[in-house]
Amino acid sequence: MLEVKNVERRFGGLIAVNQVSMHVAQHEIVALIGPNGAGKTTLFNLIAGLIPVDQGEIILNGKSILGLGSARICRQGLARTFQIPQLFTSMTVLDSVMVGALTRTASIEDARRIAQKVLEQVGLHDRPHIKSATLTISGKKRLEIARALATQPHMVLLDEVMAGLNFSEVNKLLELIRRLRDDGMTVLLVEHNIEAVLNIADRIVVLDQGVKIADGAPRDVLSQDNVVTAYLGSEHVLA
Amino acid sequence: MSTNWLEVQYKDVIAALVLILIVFIAPLAISDRFYLNLMFLVFLFAGLSSAWNLLGGYAGQFSLGHTAFFGIGAYTSTLFYNYAGLTPWIGMLVGVMISMTLAYLISYSVFRLRGVFFAMATVAMGETVRVLLLWGRSKIDIPYGLSIDYKPAISNMIFSEPRTYATLAGLFMLLVALVCYLLTNSRVGYYLRALRDNEDAAQSVGIDLRRYKLIAFLMSAGFTSVGGTLMAQYVLYIEPSSVFNVTISIDLALMTIMGGIGTILGPLIGALITIPLQEFLKDWLSPFGVGAHLVVYAAILILIVMLLPEGVVGAWRNFRIKAIKGDPRA
Repeated sequence: MLEVKNVERRFGGLIAVNQVSMHVAQHEIVALIGPNGAGKTTLFNLIAGLIPVDQGEIILNGKSILGLGSARICRQGLARTFQIPQLFTSMTVLDSVMVGALTRTASIEDARRIAQKVLEQVGLHDRPHIKSATLTISGKKRLEIARALATQPHMVLLDEVMAGLNFSEVNKLLELIRRLRDDGMTVLLVEHNIEAVLNIADRIVVLDQGVKIADGAPRDVLSQDNVVTAYLGSEHVLA
Repeated sequence: MSTNWLEVQYKDVIAALVLILIVFIAPLAISDRFYLNLMFLVFLFAGLSSAWNLLGGYAGQFSLGHTAFFGIGAYTSTLFYNYAGLTPWIGMLVGVMISMTLAYLISYSVFRLRGVFFAMATVAMGETVRVLLLWGRSKIDIPYGLSIDYKPAISNMIFSEPRTYATLAGLFMLLVALVCYLLTNSRVGYYLRALRDNEDAAQSVGIDLRRYKLIAFLMSAGFTSVGGTLMAQYVLYIEPSSVFNVTISIDLALMTIMGGIGTILGPLIGALITIPLQEFLKDWLSPFGVGAHLVVYAAILILIVMLLPEGVVGAWRNFRIKAIKGDPRA
């Protein structure tokens, strides 16, 4: 589905993402984890086309998406959410999601129907007419997901959608992601909440200082020494 | 705002009917020259502000260079009429084409800029067109000011009855308002509001920013150009300092903001407030010295903007929401 090959991105002298290669198979849920500043969000933005790649290749469904820009990448079927919700603040919840739906249809009526269905999926259907800016943090995150889903993607990139949510909200979101996969979606998520990741991911990719240090099944990866070192420091590694 | 689709449509129809009635009946009901002139200006500037609103309000690209398109409209139809005998109706369309071409060309550089920088670049655009005209005039020998001979005929777009001008400007206003209305309920309208709110988010859902900003810019420039032709045919005299004056750009932005930026009725209400205010103040305060009316006018504008930061339409909407739900944020 998605293939990232030797991708590199520098900001001045800092190599934010250094020769990273990874892939996500169809219907797979892959979690990208790593300490703060590891380059997760940068890699995300590179894949989504928000910032240009310095080196390497990114292939979606067999076609290179390098240099397409985020708008065209979205139309190719790759949708994303933002770590800090980027909302259409003057719009209502329903209108915001309709904007996403209009990517696939020019009809306002169709877009409204699609948007209502997606809002039901994420559990925002009970307040379609309130201003998106007035939602709670959990509501804003779900709105981000709804807007991305409304573009009817094959794959979604979820950037820390669980940050700032309480236990039951996280559970609801995990359930939603699982349901999406059952319906055929492919998911790549950046996540700090290890508990949640263990719960849902088929595979985990770990970044540390821009370099990929692990890639594999969740339990295996989290017991690797270099992963523990990256998170907690070397003194915590069990000899 | 109402949530019921049927109810919205019903209200829209009423509003449209009222506007149409005003345009067709008001000019007939008035015979005083002063008021007919006022009516022409209100209708014309309501249409022009609506055109500005397409770019400045819906798309959020704050232009202060619209005088360029206004002047191009005025000059194109007048030059073609005076020197080639071309009817202003066609000349008006040629002006629209030229204005849109300029908008298209300039879009490559100005759409890279955001906020104030965009505004500054458009100011430069307006000035550049004016300076180019002054420079060109010395090369091809046309007078500084251009008069249009008074030969009333529909084909000349010159009318002996002032009320015909008022109706014509009213039709112009209705046309632009109709386009705004259709736009708000279309994909383009949704996309423009989305990219105005948040460009990154808009791109992330597949919106081609340049394409949709350009659509707004072309429509806005085209309609502004039409307004320029109407003004030239009404005054029958144009000169660079009148039709390429930067105050036109500022007035359009001002009227839209006062009435309610990004709304359909906002620019119309803005024009209805500011133009009579200007004219009456000029009338009343001229004994107190040249420019006295401008001081009072400015003071009133500042007061209105302070009291109604979201414009008349925004204030009304907030009032309604408060009255219905008791909570301004609901």
